[in-house]
Amino acid sequence: MDVRLEKLTRRFGAVTAVDALDLEIKSGELVALLGPSGCGKTTTLLMTAGIYRPTSGAIYFGERRVDQLLPRDRGIGMVFQNYALYPHMTIAENIGFPLSLRRGLPREERDRRVRLVAEQVRVGELLARRPAQLSGGQQQRVALARALVKEPDILLLDEPLSNLDARLRHSMRAEIKRLQKELGITSIFVTHDQLEALSMADRIALMVDGKLAAYGPPDDLYERPANRFVAEFIGNPPMNFLDVEVARSDGRVVARGADDVLVPLAPALADRLALNGAARPVALGIRPEHLTIGPSDMSHARGEVYVVEPMGREQVVDVRIGERTVQVIAPASLAVRVGEPVGLTFDATKLHLFDPAAGQRLG
Amino acid sequence: MTSSAAPRHASAASSLPAPASSSSAVTRALMTALPYVVLILFTLPILLLYVWLTYSSFFTRMEGLWPTGSFTLENWRFLWAPESVEQLRNKPPIIPLTINTLVFSLATTAVVLLISSMAGYALSRLNFPGRRAFLGSVLLLHSFPSVTLLIATFIVLRRLGLYDQLLGVILVKAAFELPLGIWIMKGFFDTVPWELEMAALVDGAGRITTWWRIVMPLVRPGLLALGLLAFVSGWNEFLLPFVFMPSGSQATLSLLVRSLLGEGRFVDYGVLTAVGLYYVLPILILFLFAQEQLMRIYGGGVKG
Repeated sequence: MDVRLEKLTRRFGAVTAVDALDLEIKSGELVALLGPSGCGKTTTLLMTAGIYRPTSGAIYFGERRVDQLLPRDRGIGMVFQNYALYPHMTIAENIGFPLSLRRGLPREERDRRVRLVAEQVRVGELLARRPAQLSGGQQQRVALARALVKEPDILLLDEPLSNLDARLRHSMRAEIKRLQKELGITSIFVTHDQLEALSMADRIALMVDGKLAAYGPPDDLYERPANRFVAEFIGNPPMNFLDVEVARSDGRVVARGADDVLVPLAPALADRLALNGAARPVALGIRPEHLTIGPSDMSHARGEVYVVEPMGREQVVDVRIGERTVQVIAPASLAVRVGEPVGLTFDATKLHLFDPAAGQRLG
Repeated sequence: MTSSAAPRHASAASSLPAPASSSSAVTRALMTALPYVVLILFTLPILLLYVWLTYSSFFTRMEGLWPTGSFTLENWRFLWAPESVEQLRNKPPIIPLTINTLVFSLATTAVVLLISSMAGYALSRLNFPGRRAFLGSVLLLHSFPSVTLLIATFIVLRRLGLYDQLLGVILVKAAFELPLGIWIMKGFFDTVPWELEMAALVDGAGRITTWWRIVMPLVRPGLLALGLLAFVSGWNEFLLPFVFMPSGSQATLSLLVRSLLGEGRFVDYGVLTAVGLYYVLPILILFLFAQEQLMRIYGGGVKG
């Protein structure tokens, strides 16, 4: 079932948490609402669930307008950040609770469906226990089972992985994605973790200050961020930015910055900037993995190694260029010492140019 | 308790691998024993009173406050032959009085539990105008001594035609218990996470179902504690039945005990203590069984 939010707005007193949000989600899609805390992503989810009533705007599930309906009439399942399992009920009772509210559903049928969905999320052997006796990962699975047992049209997940330890988070990420694809259920999940969004979502809706900053597949957001905010928010370590001027020099188009930064631009990029003689100031963005550390005499910028963080497979090297620091992902085999002068080479095909004032993408 | 706990700790300390000096072991033993000593000092007088009460109800004669004479069940014959007890002759029979007291306490408890849990839930969850002011004034009411309200309450009861009726006294008693009850229940409701209610709503429950099936079971320890408090307070209540039920047809046990004491000319301590013990026994038994529930008041909450 596809979901459509139209001019969805929610105000709390003088604060506008969600501001005229338009969003379309295709049937069977897994969409991440991503953004910093306080950006309105959870409010959006709770409006979709029917916990909050929108101040204005509309929500459609398929052709049906649902924004004034009670949660129980919307056909949704939801997983909460702290799982919200009912502490006084067994796992079987927890999972069966949504079904127990349905009149006319025979007990045997309820038990059968509870067992079925419990097997699906692999908590079949825990049915007699109580939530307090389960680990975080198990509680998470039970919460998922409870959301899925009534076979909802739409699955909503609020920060589903943030209460798990790093290892478990990784495996649950894959598991939720697998389950979602298997069931083909339209799903929306809220997260502040861009890695979670990048690895799980079919499309990411990046929100800031209650508005949609970007909406698209993870690759698009990562490789062609529409504006500087998106570029800064997505990617870890974050994209590096340098203030430069784009100008023609010796028949080539180059980006020139302070401290002898001189980066040649790809011809296609140069054409798009439509330079007509005058130099143009832009914000040059480049991701840490698109910078290469080399000898200081043949490179686009020169600096000195400031911090080295080994990460196992690779290392993150902070390089000081004058007053600024850029982060570089270098192979673990590269031997660099703190204080060593190095040169940086920019991958010309991976440059991002943004308007220095408005922040929108130039090319 | 003291003698067994102290050496156990001392030996545990001396068996530590680290060279614990004997003086520090003694200090630790003393620190362990101290709370017991203090508690015993304070409990002993109360305990002695109960022992005295029990003793004197089973003996023929009292030498001052010291029971002498021989063991007897004579003082307890009000249970099987009430008409032979001189002191009880012109008074309502004790079994109906007990039932009255039970009805009074249970009804008070029921009213207090029902209203406290609904009001506490509303105050904990809903944001309505005047909520803070209401909470404040409820607390103020709680600190009002009920004696100061007797005349006003009397007028209200007369107007309602509930004067000299058990029902009237039940309502008044419940009203006096409510401020504390509402606050206790509000506190318990505050500990139930919002997400549980949201989850129930999404799962398909309505507001009432959510309240009844999700929230109420989670505040059960609070209900039990409040229920016990209200029941005991109702059982012990003397002033309200005394003032508002003068004709005595629906009197409670506390009135009987008081009348035995207040006859003036001659107090038979044997009968008095037997009736007194009979009166406190249900409470003692209740506490014996409810102790575990009372101890779990803060143990049964919601785990993160």
